[in-house]
Formats: sequence, structure tokens, C-alpha cells
Amino acid sequence: MHLQLQYFLLLAAALFCIGIYGLITSRNAVRVLMSIELMLNAVNLNLMGFSNFIDPQEIKGQVFTVFVITVAAAEAAVGLAIVLSIYRNRETVDMEQFNLLKW
Amino acid sequence: MAQFFLETAWLIPCYALMGSILAIPWSPSLIRRTGPRPAGYINALMTLVAFLHGLIALSATWNQPAQEILIPWLQVVDLDLTIPLEFSSITIGATLVISGINLLAQIYAIGYMEMDWGWARFYSLLALFEAGMCALVLCNSLFFSYIILEVLTLGTYLLVGFWFNQSLVVTGARDAFLTKRVGDLFLLMGVIALYPLAGTWNFSELAEWASTANVDPKVAALLGLALIAGPMGKCAQFPLHLWLDLAMEGPVPSTILRNAVVVCTGAWVLIKLEPIIALSPLAASATLIIGAVTALGGTMVAIAQIDIKRTLSYLVSAYMGLVFIAVGTGQSETALTLMLTYAVSMALLVMSIGGIVWNSITQDVTKLGGLWAKRPASAFSYLVGAAGLVAVPPLGGFFALLQVGDHLSSTYPWFLGLLLLVNGLATFSLTRVFGLVFGGKPKPMSERSPEVHWPMALPMLLLMGFTLHVPLILLQWQLIPDWSTLNTTVAGLLVLSSAVGCTLGSFIYLNNGFAKPVRFGNKSLQDLFAYDFYTQKVYRLTIVFVVDLVSRAISWADRYIVDGVVNLVGILTVFSGQSLKYNVSGQTQFYALTILFGIVLFGIVVSWPLLARLSLIVNGF
Repeated sequence: MHLQLQYFLLLAAALFCIGIYGLITSRNAVRVLMSIELMLNAVNLNLMGFSNFIDPQEIKGQVFTVFVITVAAAEAAVGLAIVLSIYRNRETVDMEQFNLLKW
Repeated sequence: MAQFFLETAWLIPCYALMGSILAIPWSPSLIRRTGPRPAGYINALMTLVAFLHGLIALSATWNQPAQEILIPWLQVVDLDLTIPLEFSSITIGATLVISGINLLAQIYAIGYMEMDWGWARFYSLLALFEAGMCALVLCNSLFFSYIILEVLTLGTYLLVGFWFNQSLVVTGARDAFLTKRVGDLFLLMGVIALYPLAGTWNFSELAEWASTANVDPKVAALLGLALIAGPMGKCAQFPLHLWLDLAMEGPVPSTILRNAVVVCTGAWVLIKLEPIIALSPLAASATLIIGAVTALGGTMVAIAQIDIKRTLSYLVSAYMGLVFIAVGTGQSETALTLMLTYAVSMALLVMSIGGIVWNSITQDVTKLGGLWAKRPASAFSYLVGAAGLVAVPPLGGFFALLQVGDHLSSTYPWFLGLLLLVNGLATFSLTRVFGLVFGGKPKPMSERSPEVHWPMALPMLLLMGFTLHVPLILLQWQLIPDWSTLNTTVAGLLVLSSAVGCTLGSFIYLNNGFAKPVRFGNKSLQDLFAYDFYTQKVYRLTIVFVVDLVSRAISWADRYIVDGVVNLVGILTVFSGQSLKYNVSGQTQFYALTILFGIVLFGIVVSWPLLARLSLIVNGF
């Protein structure tokens, strides 16, 4: 079997969908952050795929990926900090308890 | 000199109008110190001035052709609304009758309204009536006649509603206004429909037009019927006659005016319109039949009344019915003579009974009696008035009725029989009232009944003298046929019918042996006449019921359907806002889902052509 771009893209899409499913259904705030990481990795997979198959000379996608990983790390750090500060106030990380801002 | 007064005859209505305005300051809320009497004196003076002016003008108009002056009022595009005034011996003579009777009624009111504070309002309205009626007879245009008729309808409303703290007065004024208004509105339809046909509203030009007009019979019939509807309401003809009965709630001096002259305003317009009505045989016979039914019904209802004012008000309808008969058979001149003799006699009758009511308090004829010896002036006035109204040879009514009968005998012999019957019944009715009020034994209400004081007695006696002189005036004006051409058969029959009515009435009501209250025939039949054929109930069950029902239905539809639809829009908006706010669930993950849905949906929409091609490829395989 010859590896094609489509397979990478499909895998990334599947990973992205799994991430979204986790993002929407998780009750634990940390798992939501983990799902976001999954989605970002799906994006990274896309970028790498495109970089290899379409732009093998200048590999701009790989540079993007490096940036995404960096920013994702920062975002995870901030996200965990937010979760921690909410936990300090409400003593829970259950997403369904954080519904104060409704209608 | 007299010529000057003739040329300024347009001032005659203005005097009264001025009096009407000058009376207002003596309303109880304006001049608080002097009391209301000057209002009456000013108006009587103004009426006297108008009367004298008319008298001098009449002497100038004698044996002269009619003069017409034009007062420009309004000109818009191709419509020229100029007020034409006609000064002829007939019109000036009519203003004399109007201002004369009004003067007497105003002097009478000085006595009658002794214990009343509302002189300013009362005299102001009386003067308004005088002004309106004088303007009506001088005005030679159908359009302006209509305007004046409407003003007088409003005047009737205010004058009947004079003592408005009485509930019956309020309902009576309401009915008087609405009934006359309905007739006037039909008249307006006729007035407006006439303009495209004739191109003028000037009565003399209308008569010229009608003499050569070639109008579709249906149009002519509808036009004629609309034009008689106005006078029908004004003259209290069946079926628009209930208002006159209810208008008897007003003060007596205004009743003098109403019974004698106001109801004649409609007849005046009808007489002026006679050439147009004659265009359609249907309209002419409708006039005849309305008049005949009213004359017969009115006299019979008058016989069954116990209210003394109402016994006369139905005779008013009946005599106006005779005017309708005269107009329906094309006798305009006779109708005018009949109106003159009628107005004078009826005013005298109302003055006489007004004096009785004034110090016997009750209006119930069954509670009055035996006033003959105590009230000779009133009794003689009543007798003269009654004799002047029905066919009693030397007096005016006889000649007028004779002319009507003479014409009927050669054209509609059946209606001559009706005329004789009406005359007999009217005589019976008048004799009955005389017998009950002046004859018989005194009853508790009339045990001590002094004769009235001079302001009421003076106009009554003056008018009695005038009534006695009416035949001489008619002779002077050559309105009476020569003795040689007199139709002796009709004259004999008329006198016979009066004699029969008088004898029968005297036998029943001047005979103390005859049991009173008189019961004749069927009780329900007697009630039918006493309650005026239950006209009030008929109105209530037909027109009033339908209009009430329709207005309720429309009001309901407006409130619940029209308003409802608009309110529904508002309610739906509020409801949607209230229910859609739950989309803001407060769950961050739900927001993320919504964003996702949005993106997916947008993606599908954007890439739809692509997807469609894809499906084609898939299907291709």
C-alpha cells in the first residue's frame, strides 16, 4: 500500500472529530483541555501532511507546526491555570456546574 | 321707502340671528346679577323689528314680479354656490307668518317661562328657529334650503332638550334629532343626485328644467322618493312621525312654534320641489299615499291620546299629511293656503292648551274638566282655533280644505272620501279634547283654575282675532275661489263631515251621562291607537335592533379580530424572545457545539455545488 496524502488527512479529520466529541461531551474540565490538545494535534498532522506532499522544498507547514505546538503548550498552561482558579472558587471541575451565565 | 325695505329684506333673518346672539350673555353663568329676563325682551323686540320690516316690504312687493338677489358664497372649479334670495309676496308673506307667530310665541313665553332661569338658552333657540325659517322661505336654492333644514334639525335637538335633567326629554330630543336626520340625509342624496341631472339647485330653474326634462322613469322615481324623504321626516309623516310625539316633552312656547311653523319647513321644501316630484308618477303617488296614511293614522291616534299636547301633535302630522296629499296631486298653491290657515289655527290651539297646562299642571285630559265657565278666553281661543283648523265655513281651514277636496273630487274621488273622513275624525278629536277639558264637571286637578295672566292671554287673543280674519285676508289675496265657482257638493260634504264629527264628539264627551273613560269596541284596538300603533316598539324591533346588532358585531370584530391580529404579532414576538433565550444555556460546551453546527452548515452551503458534483460522480458509478 502506497501512503497517500488522503490517508493522512482522513486520519487527522478522524482525530479532530474525536477531539470535538471529547470537547463537547466531557464533564471534566481537564478532559476538555485534553480534547483541545487532540484537535490541535489533528491540525498538526494536517500541516505535516501538506508540508510533505505538497511543499517538500520549503516545508512551511513544518514551521507552522512548530508554532502550533508552542502556542498549544502556552494555551494548555493558561487553560490549566483557569481550571485551577475556577476549582479554587467552586471546588469542582465539573463543566455542568459552570452554567452561571445563562439567560 | 318701501322699496328700500324690500331690497333689504335679507335683513329679516339677520334680526332674529342677532337676537339669538344677544340673548346669550344672560345665560346664568355669564351675567349673574340681573336674571335672565332681558334675553326675552331683546328677542321679542328683534322679532317685532323683523315683523315690521317684513310688513313694509310686503306692501312694496304687492302686484310686483318677484325680485331675486344673489349673495356670492363660494365658487370652486365649476360649482357656483351663490345664495339666491327671492323676494315675492309669497316669500315675504311667509316671513310675516313666521315672525308674527314667533313674536306671539315669544310674548307668550314671557308669561309661560315666568318661573324658569333658562331664558337665554330658550330665546336664543327660538330666535335661531325664526332666523332659520325666514332664511328658508327667502332662499330660492335647494342646496341652501337643505343646509337650513339641517341647522333647524340641530335647533330642534337643543330646543326639545331644553329641560335636559328630565330623562324623557333627553330620549325625546335624541329621537327627534335622529329621525329628522335620517330624512335629511335621504334628502341630501336627492339634492346631490339632482345636480348632474338639472345642473342647478335654484328652485325656479329646477321648475323650468322639470317642465321639459326627459329623465329615465326609474331615476325620476328614485330622485322623487329621496326628495320626499326629507320633508317626510320634517313633517312627521308616517313612518317617521314618532319624534313629534316625543318632542312634546319640550316647553309649550316652543311647541307653538314647532307645531305651527317648524313642521311646515319640510312642507315648504316639498311644495318647492313639486315640479320634480311630478316628473315621476310613482313619487307623486307615494307622496299622496304617505300623506293619506298619515292623515288617517294621525287623526285616529289623536283621538286615543290622553296627553293634551299629544292630542294636538298627531293632528299636526295629520294636517301635514293633507299638505302632502295636496302636493301629491299637484296643488302647490292650495298647499300654501292650507299651511297658512293651519299654522295660525294650530298656534292658537297650542297657546290655549298651553295656558291650561300652565296653571292646571296636569296634561292628562282625563284629569281636567269643567273649565268652560272659569276659562272663557282659553275656551273661546280653543274653539276658534279648532273651527279654523277643520272645515267650518266662514273660517280659513274650510276654504283650504275645500280647494283640496275640489281638486280631489275630479282627480282621485277615493281620496275625497278620505279627506272627509280625516276632517270628521279631526273634528271629533278636537271636540273630544274640548269636551274633556272645558266641558263636564271640574276634577280635583282643575277645581281652582284661574285664567292666565296677560303675557299669555294677549298673544292668544291677538291670534284668535287674526284667525277670525284669515278668510278676509284670503279674500284680499284672491286665494279663495269665487262664490259662483264654488263646488257646493264638496263644500256640503265637508261641512257635513265636520258636523257629524262635532255632533258625535259632543254627544260622547259633552254629555255627562256618557260613562267616562270611554270604552269603545275592542280594548286592544283602543290600545293600538293610544300607543300610536306601537311605533316605538316597531322602531326598536326593526331599525334600532338591526343597527344595534350590526354596531355590536362591528365593535366586537374591531376589538377581537382587528386588534387581536395586531396584538398577536406583539405576543408572538414576546413569546419568541422569552422562549429563545433558553438557547443561552450557560454551558460553554453547548456554545462550542453551536459554533460547530454553524461552521458545518456554512461549509455545506458553501461547498454545495461541489457536493452535488460529488453525488453525481457517485451515482455515475
